[in-house]
Amino acid sequence: MTEKSELAFADVLAASVHDIKNSIAMTMSTLDALLDDPGTQVADRDKLHHVQLEARRANHNLVQLLALYKLNKGQLAANIVENSVEEFIEELKAENGPLASAMGIELDCHCDDMLMAYFDENLVRGVINSTVGNAKRYTRQRILLSAVEEDGYVVFRVEDDGAGYPPAMLESSTAEDIASDFKNGRTQLGLVFAAEIAQIHRAGDRHGFIHLRNGHTLPGGCFELWLP
Amino acid sequence: MFENPFANRSYLVIDDFGDMRTMIKGLLRALGGTVIDAARDGAEAIDLMEKTRYDVILCDYNLGSGKDGQQVLEEARHRKLIDLATVFVMVTAENTREMVMGAVDYEPDNYLAKPFTKDLLRTRLERLFQRKHDLLPISRAVAKQDYANALQLIEERIAANPKNLSDLTKLHADICIEAGLLDQAATIYEQVLNRRDVAWARLGMGKVYFARKAYAEAEQVFANLVRDVNTLTAAYDWLARTQRALGDLQGAQATLEQAVTLSPKVIKRQQVLGDLALTNDDLAMAEQAFGDAVRLGRHSVYSHPSMHAGLATAKSAAGKHDEALEVIGRIGKTFENSDEALFFMLSAEAGIRQNQGDTDAAETSFAAAAQLYQEMGQAAPRQLGLEFARTASRLGKAEKSAEILKAVIRNNHDDDDFIAEATEVYRSTGTSENAEDAVKDIRQEIASMNNHGVRRIREGDLDAAISIFGQAADAMPGNTTINLNAARAMILKMERHGLDKAMSLQVRDYIAQIKRLAPDDHRLHWVTEHFQKLVLGS
Repeated sequence: MTEKSELAFADVLAASVHDIKNSIAMTMSTLDALLDDPGTQVADRDKLHHVQLEARRANHNLVQLLALYKLNKGQLAANIVENSVEEFIEELKAENGPLASAMGIELDCHCDDMLMAYFDENLVRGVINSTVGNAKRYTRQRILLSAVEEDGYVVFRVEDDGAGYPPAMLESSTAEDIASDFKNGRTQLGLVFAAEIAQIHRAGDRHGFIHLRNGHTLPGGCFELWLP
Repeated sequence: MFENPFANRSYLVIDDFGDMRTMIKGLLRALGGTVIDAARDGAEAIDLMEKTRYDVILCDYNLGSGKDGQQVLEEARHRKLIDLATVFVMVTAENTREMVMGAVDYEPDNYLAKPFTKDLLRTRLERLFQRKHDLLPISRAVAKQDYANALQLIEERIAANPKNLSDLTKLHADICIEAGLLDQAATIYEQVLNRRDVAWARLGMGKVYFARKAYAEAEQVFANLVRDVNTLTAAYDWLARTQRALGDLQGAQATLEQAVTLSPKVIKRQQVLGDLALTNDDLAMAEQAFGDAVRLGRHSVYSHPSMHAGLATAKSAAGKHDEALEVIGRIGKTFENSDEALFFMLSAEAGIRQNQGDTDAAETSFAAAAQLYQEMGQAAPRQLGLEFARTASRLGKAEKSAEILKAVIRNNHDDDDFIAEATEVYRSTGTSENAEDAVKDIRQEIASMNNHGVRRIREGDLDAAISIFGQAADAMPGNTTINLNAARAMILKMERHGLDKAMSLQVRDYIAQIKRLAPDDHRLHWVTEHFQKLVLGS
């Protein structure tokens, strides 16, 4: 393949991903409507919730894939404005809570009072939603979503009480690290995306970053997003 | 059972994709909405808004080839098809560079990025309903310029230590600025900044400096803000305005060039940039900015004949006379036959004919424009005076140009950023006078007359004050400050000695004139309130 046709192929891929993403979004909204309707008769509602979780995961992945593609082509501009973190956390809880409780998972949220922060609400929402979505797959029964101010950064944490991240992953925190894990067969698209999004949040000479650890306040994995 | 907040509201969904309209309508129905209309584009949306007053509008930013979402919002607010109680949410697709950052006048209540879930839509709308409910009495009081009431209401809210304290604090300071209570606003900003480095408080602090005419400090604040938070387009606009007030028109132009690169779709900013570029003799930039303004204006309530005139002037100065004539030819087709549109057509045409060497035709157009300018008298907007002076100067009429400018400056003697531009035009007329000195003399003459009258008021010699301001208002009917003080002197007199028929008729005239000149001037509220009390008390 020549270089030119390779470029064109990347555009074809991106356009298709866009199209698939929209199909999944429509599927999700139909599924939501079905689940909301008390008249819907299904033998096992849990199975529908599982479909819902996987559809959301696929949707998040495609949204992130597209965002990374645009970032690469210089077409993605972060809209970094001041946001109320408290309200933001409330919205995240409203978005993730119902599915979590349907799966028997307790989703707790905590936020410093009156915390304000500069970030692109849409991009960070993508990061946290997909992390919470993953935590739902790995946790036993609890997920804790929190936001606090530490060392002049606003730190978002998603913790669970599962088995925690495997030791090899705890070392990687930059997009390059994670991308090298790609070659080892792990597809950590969510983390690549999170690291890139963290990176474009800058204030003065500081920029955002992500950090993975285990056993912060809950015994399982703890994902941290630090924003300046 | 508690009432579903979604059930008793009406909704309008605006999106150019049928699937999307269906999906959003479905979400709203699931939340409990029953009255839900939908429009496929801006024109259809405006039609619907003319018939129905919606409580909630969800409008996609991208609407195909017609108006975009921001233009729908601007037209709806401008024509009062929606009011302070309406919740307007702008739905945005992806983070593209042409995002509607920092609209100048109207901002939606909220931005919501696609795709969104039902749960997100629910929490977002619930919060907006709550916020509207909390703030409506305050924004209504502000709209009536009843600042005392607005401040009392917001101080009560803040004392209750609510969740959205940051929002309320920002609004509190905004109201103080609008009401001219600069010290109070500065205190609020300082308190916020002592705790945290917050962009809106820094921007506010800059505005306080600007209002106090401390331009060097204001410039510092805005310049730092632009450096640190380079997506805050409002900071660029304020920096440019400050640079203009300081007489740094080149710097102001450079600042706005950066701002339009970041956010190219704001018409008013493009027009200010075009005007500056024209004054700075940067024809390429003027043509580009006015060209963008005219193009963006095609679906906008902000479209104005002065943009076409600017574009034509820039093109003609660059030797493209035929294109220039074509541009002004479109003024007649685009705008209904207003005196203003006709004036801009004739004025631009005079300049083009002059550039073409057809002095007879230039003189004919100029005479017709002069006639119109004369007829419009004090009703003529000040920007029109500047345009007329520029044209006179292009036709070699330095004295005429200076005369027009002097009248415009006399009417706006206390408005520094406007005066800076007028001074630059004055300089380019080629009069024998030194432009700075001439402008300074006029401003000093009026300022001292004004101060003289104000001193008489303070000393209680109201008859003397009335006489001073009465004469001044006759000589400068377009001067807001003079009209305000003339009304104030008469009202104070009547408050002491009772209502006087002739005097109250005169006050009515002054108030009408101020409302025409500067409807948003915070000093207007004192005058109207006291006058109303007088009339009702009798």
